[in-house]
Amino acid sequence: MRKWYEETAENGDVVISSRVRLARNLKSYVFGSRLRDADAVRLVKEVQDVAPLVKEKDGKRYFLCNVNRLSETDREAMVERYVVSPTLAAKKQETGLILSEDESVSIMINEEDHIRIQAVAAGMDLEKVFAEANFIDDILNEELPFSFDDKLGYLTACPTNVGTGLRASYMMFLPALMMTGRIQKLSEEMGKFGVTIRGIYGEGTKSQGCMYQVSNQKTLGRTEKEIIANLDCIVDQIIKQERDRRGYILREANEKTQDKVCRSYGILRYAKQLGTEDAMALLAQIKFGMDTGLIHLKGELNPHNLMMDIQPASLQKLIGKNVGSLVRDRARAEYIQKKLPDIE
Amino acid sequence: MLCDICHKREARIYYTEIINGEKKEQHLCEECAAEHTSFSAGKLGGKGELTLGNLLSSLLQGFYNGETKKVENEDLVCPKCGTSFEEFSKTGLLGCADCYKSFGSAIKESLNKIHGSELHTGKRPKGYEQEKAKEAEKRIQELSEIERLSIQLQQAIEQEEFEEAARLRDRIRELKAEEDQDKEGAPNA
Repeated sequence: MRKWYEETAENGDVVISSRVRLARNLKSYVFGSRLRDADAVRLVKEVQDVAPLVKEKDGKRYFLCNVNRLSETDREAMVERYVVSPTLAAKKQETGLILSEDESVSIMINEEDHIRIQAVAAGMDLEKVFAEANFIDDILNEELPFSFDDKLGYLTACPTNVGTGLRASYMMFLPALMMTGRIQKLSEEMGKFGVTIRGIYGEGTKSQGCMYQVSNQKTLGRTEKEIIANLDCIVDQIIKQERDRRGYILREANEKTQDKVCRSYGILRYAKQLGTEDAMALLAQIKFGMDTGLIHLKGELNPHNLMMDIQPASLQKLIGKNVGSLVRDRARAEYIQKKLPDIE
Repeated sequence: MLCDICHKREARIYYTEIINGEKKEQHLCEECAAEHTSFSAGKLGGKGELTLGNLLSSLLQGFYNGETKKVENEDLVCPKCGTSFEEFSKTGLLGCADCYKSFGSAIKESLNKIHGSELHTGKRPKGYEQEKAKEAEKRIQELSEIERLSIQLQQAIEQEEFEEAARLRDRIRELKAEEDQDKEGAPNA
């Protein structure tokens, strides 16, 4: 079965993926910061017990696991593929996961909130992923009473998520805005509309490979539809700006830009050792070259997919054993060479 | 005049709060006052008991003694989970769902800062409205005779029907006396 990130989609030159996260808490437990270990175990079990109902109604295959009992590599690899959040992966207390086979739906248990429902899809389609998360929310709520207040909506451990508990985000590829030094300015402008721009693994992480996460900041006082419409409106603007800048770069510095793209290809093709950040930056150049027609490859390549594969823990898993960073850098170079098609 | 918070029920309580020298005045209905202000928590008795003395003294304070109570946010502690406001300020994390009520106006302030709103307009859990209606009905049924009479008494006072108020007051006294007798009698029975 294809994973969601193996699909190609609309606006794929700028918008890599769409993601929605709903925060929910059970009435019968205190929030995470006050939860005792024994209660955490009970909580995880209680939520995972609803998995058969989710399977039945959703029709997808689902897998269960206790994230805290996995190896560090497995946990990190899950973060790299956006299956779980860094917060969940780092938690020592019992944590649980209900994950769909295509990895598009993941239900995290005992994260900052008792439940975090995440739905993700390739390309620009927040409405679709919200519908999916909302559907899962209804199924879970049939069996699990959620903390809900008439005026404040869904109650969450942190007041920044209260209300809808909805964080909607787009993963965006913004090489031209980055090259022209526009990200900082953009971030300030977007802040006025309640939208933030951050690194690829969310809060506190930095950007890699020109990838940015753009998401709503406010969760209270607006309906889910309004939140998504507002974000879409801003993201449309960013897409337009990014495309305008790409056009400008191609007009003003075509040969120089093509040279840069081809050099990046050359390094990826022939390098013997590649660090993660290096490889990410070079792959970003390849994606940029492919999207703008500066480079034509003979075979198929999904650069974003490859970017996930070459993250440290994911690569570790591909190698099949724990190795040091030098061995990993060699393996990364080899792996990319295998995946990289020839130039036309 | 309608309540400043719910805009639905009649405002019966005039509530003034002074936090860090900032004065805030509100006209509230009983329900919202109980839910959203610090004055109810201390004055209406821990179990939310509607005793006459509590009710009147709090009402009087509300009406005549504008500056009812000063809230020191730092000293607030959620009675359910034991999280203090100070802890919350440091971590940004609340300890339980009740913290939202326990930290009342302080939370409201931060919600306004974060979201520019303090009212949810989005999704409600399926069947939430029906459940709420059922709960309200149940709560009315659960009220004791005394509690029901206390509410009537309060209304009578407000409408200046003092004869009726006196009658209700006497009736409440009678019932209380009976209750006390029952309690005393029970262990021997």
